[in-house]
Amino acid sequence: MKQFIYLFLIIILSCEKDDVCPETTQTTPRLVIEFYDLTNPDELLQVPGLYALGLSTDGMEIPINNEIVTTRSSIALPLKTDATETEFILYKSYDIVDGEVIGNPDKIKVTYDSKKVYVSRACGYITNFVIQAFVITADSDQWMINSDILTSEITNENDIHVKILH
Amino acid sequence: MKMTSMLKYCISCLIGCLSVCINLNAQETDPTIPDSLVVKNKYGLRVGVDASKLARTFLETDYSAIELNADYRLTYRLYAAGEVGNEERTTSTDYLNSTAKGTYLKAGVDYNMYTNWAGMDNMVYFGFRFGLSNFEQRLNSYTIYDTNNTTWGQTEVLESKDFKGLSATWLELIFGFKAEVLNNLYIGINVQLKGRLSETEPDNFENIYIPGFGRTFDSGKFGVGFGYNISYLVPLIKKAKK
Repeated sequence: MKQFIYLFLIIILSCEKDDVCPETTQTTPRLVIEFYDLTNPDELLQVPGLYALGLSTDGMEIPINNEIVTTRSSIALPLKTDATETEFILYKSYDIVDGEVIGNPDKIKVTYDSKKVYVSRACGYITNFVIQAFVITADSDQWMINSDILTSEITNENDIHVKILH
Repeated sequence: MKMTSMLKYCISCLIGCLSVCINLNAQETDPTIPDSLVVKNKYGLRVGVDASKLARTFLETDYSAIELNADYRLTYRLYAAGEVGNEERTTSTDYLNSTAKGTYLKAGVDYNMYTNWAGMDNMVYFGFRFGLSNFEQRLNSYTIYDTNNTTWGQTEVLESKDFKGLSATWLELIFGFKAEVLNNLYIGINVQLKGRLSETEPDNFENIYIPGFGRTFDSGKFGVGFGYNISYLVPLIKKAKK
């Protein structure tokens, strides 16, 4: 009798965690880009002083969470979950000298379909994307020369979705 | 003449009764013959309602339900028992808000472990049920789970979506008490441990709450419940314990 009540309590208490979304849960994945050498397309090539900014629909530059200027060969960018395209500015050799931003900005535009994928009662839904187009806006001083969609379905951040040659 | 025959008849009856009584006394001293001082138990159909579900219907904004229950005494200890109900429940978490509603039926047996004193009719029982629920779920709203949402903001989807024609079955173990508080009026409390046998999985969603079964848990097919019943016995026959 007592044991039965204990069992009952244990079941109720142990399952409360169901209502809190664990941090280890795969969240809405970001777009993962890797940078390769234009002259040797199979070799990763680091981008000095890489820095990314989001572009809102009215052209405002939006800082990206946890995004800092570093020399690296890959970057993860959050896509808008309530739209079908997102624009970013990617800087090469970003720096601020005397209050002036120096570096080479290039603009990219990702067009995609999105679908809502059920995760759990605590986390609800995440968004997965299918890349339809990836465009680097041409300019006179373009550092990103070419791109290739490697994995069009964005379901996690372990895959490399887009390869950029520079 | 008529008077005397009447008197004779009465006396013979009285003697007959007394002789029976003497016989009874004689029998009590003989351990091989069972006690025939007969205590009759009430047998009948007991019908009731779950008061806790009614109370919650009035007290909680996200819950409404009614459950009728009945049991029928089969033998001294065994009862055929069942519940039928309708339940609607809205579940809200940080990222999800959904409502489940539907009807359910539970059927099984109760076994009374308690041996009553003469003239009392209480129960300490356990029982089993097979449960069946037909229900639907409405996803009212949800927020996209996105830990990188500081850049573009949270996306909340407010358009509701219906998942109809869902069903589930389960087995239930019940443990409870029933006490006769007034003549033929009973109150009872019970807890239920449930294991799901089957369920319709909604496409790109899950059964958050199953009417009759209760909330589901991520960890498995188990569920819990409780009931607080008020019921009335319609006594049909009185039988002695065999």
